[in-house]
Amino acid sequence: MLKRSFNRLFLVGEILALLGIMTGCTMIKGPLYPDTIYNNRQPLISVTYEYGEIEVRLPLNYIGAIPDNIMFEVYAQGDTINPIISILQEAPRVFLVYLPQGVLDIHEKANLIRIIPQDSNFQPVDVRFQGIRFGQIQLPPKSIGMKQLIVSGKVFLNKNGNTLAGVDVSFQNFDNVIKEIRTNESGNFQLAIPGEYRYAKHLRLVSGNNLIFKPFKKMMDFSESFRQIVNIGVGPSSTMEEPLYVTNRDNVHFRKHPDIGSETLFLLERGEAISVKRVTPGEYQGSIEVSLGHDKNVNLDGWIYRSDVILLDVNNIFKNEPTNDSTL
Amino acid sequence: MSQLMIRHYKKFLAIMFFSLGLNAQVKLTVNTIPKKVNVKLDGVILGESPIINERISPGIHKFEIIKKGFAPLNYELVVNPAQAVHLDFFMNPIYSVKFKTEETGLVFEINDEHQWSEDFIRLNLEAGDHSLRVFKLGEIIDEQIIHVDEPKKFIYYLKKPISEE
Repeated sequence: MLKRSFNRLFLVGEILALLGIMTGCTMIKGPLYPDTIYNNRQPLISVTYEYGEIEVRLPLNYIGAIPDNIMFEVYAQGDTINPIISILQEAPRVFLVYLPQGVLDIHEKANLIRIIPQDSNFQPVDVRFQGIRFGQIQLPPKSIGMKQLIVSGKVFLNKNGNTLAGVDVSFQNFDNVIKEIRTNESGNFQLAIPGEYRYAKHLRLVSGNNLIFKPFKKMMDFSESFRQIVNIGVGPSSTMEEPLYVTNRDNVHFRKHPDIGSETLFLLERGEAISVKRVTPGEYQGSIEVSLGHDKNVNLDGWIYRSDVILLDVNNIFKNEPTNDSTL
Repeated sequence: MSQLMIRHYKKFLAIMFFSLGLNAQVKLTVNTIPKKVNVKLDGVILGESPIINERISPGIHKFEIIKKGFAPLNYELVVNPAQAVHLDFFMNPIYSVKFKTEETGLVFEINDEHQWSEDFIRLNLEAGDHSLRVFKLGEIIDEQIIHVDEPKKFIYYLKKPISEE
C-alpha cells in the first residue's frame, strides 16, 4: 500500500519535472513562429545564351573567263530585297561566309546567295538553299559563266512570207557547229551560246541546211549586245517568176551565153534558185538573184545546163525528208 | 508476334528519342548556389545541380529550385533558339532569428502579414530586408526595416532603432 503510494508520488514528480524542463527550455529558446517569413526578394539569376555560327561554303567554277571582283549578297527568310550581308571580293574559288544563328529559314529553300560579278560580260547567278540552326552548310558547286549570247527570230519563205517549221538553225564558229536547233511549229527559234564567243571573229548564224535551198548565212557581231533578233528568209524571193529551178550540186557554172567557152558569171552553190525564161535542148536561160548586201538584190541573166538544175517543188523543200512538208 | 512488337517497340523508341532530340535543340546548363539542389523543369525533376548537357526546346519553360534552408525559387524563362543556355541561380538563405523585447502590451507585425505578441520569439526569416510594424492598443506606434543577413538576435526598444545582439 505504501509502495503504491510512493510509486504514484514518484510518477507525478517525474511529470512535474518533465514539464519544468520543457517550460524552462521554452523560456530560454522562446516559441517558434510557425511560418517561414519571406520577403519576396527578387532572386539573383544569371541567364547566358551561347549562339552558334552558320558557316556557308559555296564552291565556284568559272567557265572560260574569270571576273575580277564579285559581289555576294546573302538573303534570308524569303526576303530578296534586303540582304543580311553583302561582300565584295576578288573572285574566289570558294565563297565563305559566316552568319549568326537564327537568321536563315531552316524549313524551306527560302535563303539565297546572289552572285553578282562586277563585269558586264557576266550575268548574276542565284543560289537558293535551306538553312540550319548553326553549323556548316556545304553547298554544291556553282558555275559562273559569261552572259549567254542569244539570237531569236523566225524562219520564213521569201516567196510568200510563210513561216517554216523544222528548219535547222545553228551557230558556227568557222565551220564548227557550236549549237544547232530547229524552228518550232510556229517557225520561231531561240539559240543561246556561251558568252565567251562574244568577241569571236568568225561567228555566224546558219539556217536551212536541211532545205533544198542555199543555206542562209550571216556573220554575227555581239560586241554591242548580248541579244539579237534575226528573221531569216530562205529560198527565192517573190520577185523571181516561175518556173523556178534550183541547182542540184555545188560549183555550177552560170554563164553569160549558151555557147561553149562562154564567160562564167558565177559559180553557183547547191540550192541556188533560177527563174527560167527560155528552154533549149541542153540549157536553160534565166535569171538568178545576187545579193548586194543590206537586203538589196539584183537579178542577173545567164545560162545554165539543164542537168545542173531540178524543178523546184514548192510542196517539198526539205532534203531527204519528204514527209516534213511545208505549206506555201 | 510479341517478338515483332518488341522489335518495333525499340524502333519506335529510337524514332521517338530522335524526334525529341530534334525538337530539343538548345543545350541547357544549370548551376546553383548552393550546389546539390533539386531542379525541376516544367514540373519534371531534372536532377541535382549542377545540371549539364541537358536539352531544352525553345519557348516558355518554368524552373523550380527547392532546398531546405533556402527560399524556394520559381522562374519562368522564354528560351531563345540558341546553341546553348546557361542558367545560374543564387538561392536566398533563410536565417533563424530571435526577437526579444522588454516592452509590454505590444503587437509586432512583419511584412504586413505575420503577427505575434510574445516578448521573445524565434523567427525563420528570408535573408534581406523586412518591414516591421509595432502596434499598441490597435495603433501603429513604430515602423522599422530590419535587415537579415545572418542568424542573429534582435532586441526591440520602443521608438528606438532596433538593436542587434
